[in-house]
Amino acid sequence: MKKLLEISLGIVTSVGGFLEVGSMATAAQAGATFGLRLIWAILLGTICIIFLVEMAGRFAAVSGHTIADGIRERFGFNTFLWPLLATLLVNFMVMSAEIGGVAIAADLATGIGFQWWAIPVAFLAWLFLWKGTFGFIEKGVAVLGLVTLCFVVAAVMLKPDWKQVAAGAVPSLPDHDAESYWFMAVSILGASISPYLFMFYSSGAVEDHWDKTYLGTNRAIAGLGMSFGGTISVSVLIVAALVLGEHGVNQVDDYHQLPLLLIPIFGFWGFVLFVASLAIACFGAALEIALQQAYLVAQGFGWTWGEDRKPREDPGFCSVYTISLLLAAIPIGLGLDPLKLTIFSMAVTAASLPLTVVPFLFLLNDERYVGDHRNGMISNAAVIFVIALGFVLAVVAIPLQIFGGS
Amino acid sequence: MDLLRDLLDKQVVDRRQVKIGKVDGLVAELRHGKPPRIVAVELGSITLARRLGSRPGRWVAWLAARLGGERHAEPHRIAWKKVRNIGVDIEVDVDVRRTAIFDWQDWLRDHIIGRIPGA
Repeated sequence: MKKLLEISLGIVTSVGGFLEVGSMATAAQAGATFGLRLIWAILLGTICIIFLVEMAGRFAAVSGHTIADGIRERFGFNTFLWPLLATLLVNFMVMSAEIGGVAIAADLATGIGFQWWAIPVAFLAWLFLWKGTFGFIEKGVAVLGLVTLCFVVAAVMLKPDWKQVAAGAVPSLPDHDAESYWFMAVSILGASISPYLFMFYSSGAVEDHWDKTYLGTNRAIAGLGMSFGGTISVSVLIVAALVLGEHGVNQVDDYHQLPLLLIPIFGFWGFVLFVASLAIACFGAALEIALQQAYLVAQGFGWTWGEDRKPREDPGFCSVYTISLLLAAIPIGLGLDPLKLTIFSMAVTAASLPLTVVPFLFLLNDERYVGDHRNGMISNAAVIFVIALGFVLAVVAIPLQIFGGS
Repeated sequence: MDLLRDLLDKQVVDRRQVKIGKVDGLVAELRHGKPPRIVAVELGSITLARRLGSRPGRWVAWLAARLGGERHAEPHRIAWKKVRNIGVDIEVDVDVRRTAIFDWQDWLRDHIIGRIPGA
């Protein structure tokens, strides 16, 4: 019974935490421009993240190490520096985009320009981390995040042609704007396979004192939680394809177009639901990423860490999330377009994947860490696939950004 | 025991299970006619910087001495005989409060973090 409760809580957490500015913006753009044809990219990304999250949780439960600990220990400091710096940079950009997402929601709600909200949003996030415990952050924000399920309701109510939805789940070649098509596919993959997601998950498992008895729980949470999360992203895409397409919007290049998504279905409440979804989803993600920055540095250098401690017990840890939030607020405060930043940072995330995922291949096959719970053939194949995908994306994403990006 | 595999870069905890850093370096004593022997583990930024190269090592050592005084001009060393247990973490029979390892965290707490309400 206790396990069942834990599993449901874990699923709620991953569902509530799944949607963030990246998955929302990329799915909406893809739906508007290419209809239902890019659903496959979300499915592919979701399958990849299920595998990586399951592995991160298994590694933490069996070895007592977070992924960051494992990389440093197994490969040494000099090698660890590369994924460390890459992840810090990618996280900085993504966190900035999330702050931008909340700021846009505040802008939509009040009419006061988004750049004025950057610092207040960062401050509020900081306050949550400063005063909150891990359980409060993880579960509180996740429960609120369930508001994003309104996209699923909307998608069903729109009665899409399910045959076309199924056809979109199969990869296909674009019939127009090929560069833009592939660039969007890359951004969607980057938004789905976020390093912060699986690294945060392994830190969470250690914070919650997981051991081998949690392996089943871990598998259920990774599989079901991420699948439900992916369903929300697909719903955003479906809604964007049907609603925006119908209104003649086939290019999302401004956040102000987005509330239109839910208005035809829910009327004025659609606007409220959209603003709430955007604000909560992005705020939750900003909290998790800020925390992940602090975990990463503290774990990498062996400092005391833990969100359940008082700030004065781990000053180094708190300083990292404080500085990270402040820095991430700056680009938005200066008026950098959050939508552009989002799409760009998703592509960079995709390109950075090999650095964080290659270590999985070693860590999850090393008996000294995972004992009998090593990767099977399928898991290893999945890791190799993500690495290969990451390499291709690294080579493809940057040129596409220059030639095909909006 | 394989020193690099089983010691280097592992988490170090003190007597009270406080995480105090990683095994950033190992100090070996070369003995005439006998295999070298580990005499201490090293922690801290100077050791880390030395692993990147001799020049970063010199820069960080200079910087640490400027910021922290003589006490911080050399890496923190914990004698090998203080090592109590080698498992997931490496436990040392030391109280971090009696070392200089957390001086910077103490400074941060006393001068910045501790002054913010709610800390």
